[in-house]
Amino acid sequence: MSDLRTKLEVIAPSVEEALAKGAAELGLPEEAFDVEVLDSGSKGLFGLGSRQVRVRLTVRGQKREARDDAPDAEPPSPEDDEETLRVSHDTVSKLLEHMGLKADVQARWGEISTHSGIRPLLVDIRGKDLSILIGRRGETLTALQYVARLIVGKELRKPLALVIDIEGYRARREQQLRRLAQRLAHQTIERGRTMSLEPMPANERRIIHIELRDHPQVYTESVGERDLRKVTIIPRES
Amino acid sequence: MQDLIEYIAKSLVDDPEQVVVRAHERDKSVRFELTVGEDDMGRVIGRGGRVANATRALLRVAAARSGVRATLDII
Repeated sequence: MSDLRTKLEVIAPSVEEALAKGAAELGLPEEAFDVEVLDSGSKGLFGLGSRQVRVRLTVRGQKREARDDAPDAEPPSPEDDEETLRVSHDTVSKLLEHMGLKADVQARWGEISTHSGIRPLLVDIRGKDLSILIGRRGETLTALQYVARLIVGKELRKPLALVIDIEGYRARREQQLRRLAQRLAHQTIERGRTMSLEPMPANERRIIHIELRDHPQVYTESVGERDLRKVTIIPRES
Repeated sequence: MQDLIEYIAKSLVDDPEQVVVRAHERDKSVRFELTVGEDDMGRVIGRGGRVANATRALLRVAAARSGVRATLDII
């Protein structure tokens, strides 16, 4: 189980952002972490000499310590898996019903992430006229997913990497962002100077960072705060 | 709309019995007031108001379906 990461150190401009970054990294809700501030940073004077905060995030309910050589915990029983599917399905269905929307809801288990060792629970929503539920830049979808995660997590008394998609929006958006990343990386190289993208939410910035992670000629960095945080693509010194 | 707010709040708090949602209608807009037990305030507001804002985003969809504008205050 050594690849199941339960601790993570994150450096970011603020504790909130560090938490958001860590949560996006491991695909878990922010509530799933205990936060320990290792360095609370400093604002500096007029932004000069400012130091970012450093926090350690520990996934809650992971009692096994790194040095604990006890056998791995029992895998969840099929009954637990079934219950998780049922509660997730019912929660999302109820939310939609209360919002006055008719749609088909299906819940299934996704593939275990090789990166985090966590198996996401995927909820697909299908139906007519659901663009209102996606919202600008997927913001309403993100809100729906956040609320659903909280409710399901509370009912099952454990954090869950619940991911909601609407009519394949996430997959389409990911393709779009990856193409955008490649196009701008190309322009960055041609012009030999840094390019920035539009501000976007953490999960979208992450797609760009990952897409260009191993690029030989450019690297990426997020700059700006909160709603204005955006990815910049920077040429590597040759 | 009111049942959406009630459902979310009651699902998140420790004491659902203290959840009260009041609606104040005026023309084409509705203002909702949500009250919960004192110890449950954090659960419906969230860090940096994140839960409250997510709830408002979903409320906007419900309101649009009903052809009105809706706001939510947590008091």
